[in-house]
Amino acid sequence: MGERVKLDLTILAPHLGFLAQGALLTAEVCALALCGSVILGMFVAIARTSQVKALNWLAFVYVDLFRNIPFIVQLFFFYYGLPEIGIYIDAYTTGVVALSISGGAYASDAIRAGILAIDNGIIEAAEVSGLNKRVTFTRIVLPIALRTSIRPLGSVLINMILTSSILSTITLNELTGNARIVASDTFRPFEVYVVLLVAYAALTYLVSLGITLLHRWLNRDMQEQVS
Amino acid sequence: MRYTEFTQFDLWLLAQGLGVTIGLFLVTSLIGAFVGVLWGVVRFYRVPVLTQLVTFVSEILKNSPVLVQLFLVFFGFPAFFHVNVTPVTAAIITLSANTAAFVYVIVVSSIESIGRDQVEAARVFGLSRWQVLRHVIAPQALAFSIGPLTALLVNQLQVTSLISVIGVMDLSKIGATLNLRTLKPFIVWTAVGILYYLSAKLVATIGAKLERRLRAHSAFRGL
Repeated sequence: MGERVKLDLTILAPHLGFLAQGALLTAEVCALALCGSVILGMFVAIARTSQVKALNWLAFVYVDLFRNIPFIVQLFFFYYGLPEIGIYIDAYTTGVVALSISGGAYASDAIRAGILAIDNGIIEAAEVSGLNKRVTFTRIVLPIALRTSIRPLGSVLINMILTSSILSTITLNELTGNARIVASDTFRPFEVYVVLLVAYAALTYLVSLGITLLHRWLNRDMQEQVS
Repeated sequence: MRYTEFTQFDLWLLAQGLGVTIGLFLVTSLIGAFVGVLWGVVRFYRVPVLTQLVTFVSEILKNSPVLVQLFLVFFGFPAFFHVNVTPVTAAIITLSANTAAFVYVIVVSSIESIGRDQVEAARVFGLSRWQVLRHVIAPQALAFSIGPLTALLVNQLQVTSLISVIGVMDLSKIGATLNLRTLKPFIVWTAVGILYYLSAKLVATIGAKLERRLRAHSAFRGL
């Protein structure tokens, strides 16, 4: 009771290595899930911009569902549901899969916007040059769409980093999971979570800086269009 | 004795959970909107230290996981300030603050969306800064911000599911309880998911209706 209202962060020093381990796991999960969601998002974006009605509708339903149901419900659905149908995977894999599927819905929107923003003249030029539909799409449309949607995809990644903290509820010891352990070991939850808050904010800030640089570099030849 | 089958009382439980979720969503959205607008007004008047503080706090809140904020309030506050924090209090504080941070950004951008010339013209006519805010900026900013605000609220509705982690008996927590008892995760989480989905759609529909009404003055009237 004597030491009221005194923020002492030095007590966290012995636990920094443990927290760093968690941060590494967070980074790993997010990197994998980013790859997963961009690949998934690409296919869904293709489906949503295709002329086939059924494909279009299916993609819309997927995006609509996964954007309007809380991530924690999706996560529990997979974590408790998959063993029910005989698929036994660990928390790590479940987390990556759930993050990929939920991130894919957001990524597909970003990529779709990139596809729709492509000037018709470019596609016509490709047609006139004798490229078939598939080549036009994979070699012309997708590369342009992907690089103009780097910035929105970056916000998907940032959201994913924040969302990955929820994986601690299925016993995955990423940054938040490890912080919970440190908090209950040291009896200093306030200090631990303040540091964690600032750490996440700093992390996402650095990521957003990196994305802005990448976006500018990839689109350096069309500076005035995308600024 | 253990009831592993679903009973009709489970529907009642789900309804109760939905009630808690929607109730907390409404309360925190109202508080959050009020605080966020207040912060926006602070920035509009360019109050020296307060403006920087508000911007900093909103940046931190926007760029950190809600779950960590929740833990800070629920586990951190009692340990540090020696106050009693119930799960519901922690949920209200955290969700309101989080909503306020995002509302602040929307308020700032919708105030900035209004041309400076309008403000200058109003000032030339002798309106005070408050009158300009109240009669020139607010009505237009509201119409402008209703779209982003609806998207935010749909998102915040989903964020409320996190409070189940600290033990508030909301829809997700009821889902977890039913899941533990019946061991039928597919049915339980599908039902919970559908309820969340329908609530989100309801919020989106109301938002779209409001937007159409508020923007009616600038819509194309036909010839």
